[in-house]
Amino acid sequence: MLIHLEHVVRDYRVGDSIVHALHDVTLSIDRGAFVALMGPSGSGKSTLLNVLGCLDTPTSGAYVLDGQPVQSLSEDALAEIRQKRIGFIFQAYHLVPRMTAERNVELPLILSGVEPSERRERIGRALDLVGLARRREHRPDQLSGGERQRVAIARAMVTEPSLLLADEPTGNLDSKAGGEIVALLERLHEAGLTIVLVTHDPSVASHAERVISLRDGKIARDAPPETPNLPLGEATP
Amino acid sequence: MSRFRSSDILALATESMRVHRLRTGLTLAAIAIGVTAVLLLTALGEAAKRYVVREFADIGSNLVIVLPGHVETTGAAPTIGGAVRDLTIDDAEAVQRQAPAVRLVAPLSFASGTFSYGGRNRTVYVAGTTPSFETVRNVHVASGTFLDQRDPRRGEGVVVIGRRIQREVFRGENPLGKAVRLSQWRLRVVGVMEERGHSLGMDFDDVAIVPVATGLRVFNQSSLFRILVQARDPASVPQAVEQVRAILKERHDGEEDFTILTQDAMLATFGSIIEALTAALAGIAAISLAVAGIGIMNVMLVSVSERTTEVGLLKALGGRRRQIESIFLAEAVLLSGMGAAIGVGAGLLLTGVAAWFWPALPLQASIGWIAAVLVLALASGGVFGLLPARRAARLAAADALQGRR
Repeated sequence: MLIHLEHVVRDYRVGDSIVHALHDVTLSIDRGAFVALMGPSGSGKSTLLNVLGCLDTPTSGAYVLDGQPVQSLSEDALAEIRQKRIGFIFQAYHLVPRMTAERNVELPLILSGVEPSERRERIGRALDLVGLARRREHRPDQLSGGERQRVAIARAMVTEPSLLLADEPTGNLDSKAGGEIVALLERLHEAGLTIVLVTHDPSVASHAERVISLRDGKIARDAPPETPNLPLGEATP
Repeated sequence: MSRFRSSDILALATESMRVHRLRTGLTLAAIAIGVTAVLLLTALGEAAKRYVVREFADIGSNLVIVLPGHVETTGAAPTIGGAVRDLTIDDAEAVQRQAPAVRLVAPLSFASGTFSYGGRNRTVYVAGTTPSFETVRNVHVASGTFLDQRDPRRGEGVVVIGRRIQREVFRGENPLGKAVRLSQWRLRVVGVMEERGHSLGMDFDDVAIVPVATGLRVFNQSSLFRILVQARDPASVPQAVEQVRAILKERHDGEEDFTILTQDAMLATFGSIIEALTAALAGIAAISLAVAGIGIMNVMLVSVSERTTEVGLLKALGGRRRQIESIFLAEAVLLSGMGAAIGVGAGLLLTGVAAWFWPALPLQASIGWIAAVLVLALASGGVFGLLPARRAARLAAADALQGRR
């Protein structure tokens, strides 16, 4: 078991009132799983993803990642966990616009102090993995949306994390480019990576092994997709 | 524990500066202009102060001035009332002979008259004095000789002229040995003064200097305008004042119908001017330093704040707070350092050019202000670059990624 959440609550204070973004969530995810988080806006799926990614800490409850309780770790210790074990990809890619693809992929290695001599090889492998070895000198504005997201995936994978967290990775893409990204995620999953992705799109979720639906900060449904592996853009009603 | 390489920090910082050329350029310009303004304004203030101080130094050293008529306070022109005995050449000679604390005495008569040569007339100041005047008032001839006659009572018909008189009246002709008229008296030009300008309210370039007896005779005066007394050294000025007072009082039947001014007293009178200048200088510098600091602050706040998302990304990628702060700090210090260097360069260039065009008021950027402004620029650049980065780095990574502050 890679992830275990026990009675996790995450409250936000908005002005005088308190918003319960996550309300008593208990959840386990096995190593190598491919999980989709679904639910309407404000259901708590992004908060859950941020908690899983150690970008946010639970107000109460326990979070054990890879056997290590993380809910009470210091900020620097959490940064270290993000650096070593977790890769992120985002709807808006969050590539640094002034940097080439290669340099964007290098960022996590810089932050973790990897020797420059070792970086080249690892960057090369990561870009090969996403099929962008030929585009390494391109800046984000010279790449298509799908290519940008692939650079972001290469950046997430360059530190060889055990968990990949994806927040609406196809949200800004057309169905063709989105389909390529989902196919890439499936390949990574087949190679053993644990993936948790947040999506609105049932056809994206249909590629996961398990779909967790959230409503009002609680798990409403937790089951395999009803119709697996729908082509993108063809959602069932 | 991972290590963050300084070469990586530097690369990240310069990369960002290179790509955001406009922003970098504007930031550099803002910092450089602030720094240059501080240097120019302080240089201007210092030059004005130096100018005033030098004016006083030019008056001559250890100077004591005796004028006819008695006033209680020093520094103002005496109001002459009642019977005032003349100050005479004899008085001046008595002081020279009898006062041990006195080195030199120069009697001075003063009037204005018409100077004529070759059909050209010019109204000039006429100072009558002795050869001692050259030392006492620290003036020198550029060509020819100064008055060289030792007996002050013999009024020879010679004149030493200022530079403007030479230019305006002789127009390139060599004036030495020429016969001129001064209010109907015939005189021979023996020397031309060095260019000097105004000093103590007297335009030395427009003055004709004659032997004191000649000056009194030409303008039919009985009293000297001043007796200039030079004490042996600064320490003996008070002694000299007392000796001069005693000698003249005795010669004037026990009455103190004259006024003695010292350079100290004059400096005290004008001291408030220098104090005001110094205060104004400090004020100007403080204001320009503050303006420069605020400019740097604004630029840094804006440029870091618009990169909140980048801070969030670095956090998500596992960047520690200190790592993120050090990237922004490096960039801020690089920017403000470069901006300050450009500003100092421009300031030095401009003061140099100004000093070349305007030698009378030599502008010079002082080392102290350069150091102060460099420290200020680096400190405000560092602080105001680091503060927003620190604020961003303290945000929850998820919020920073959304650009929420």
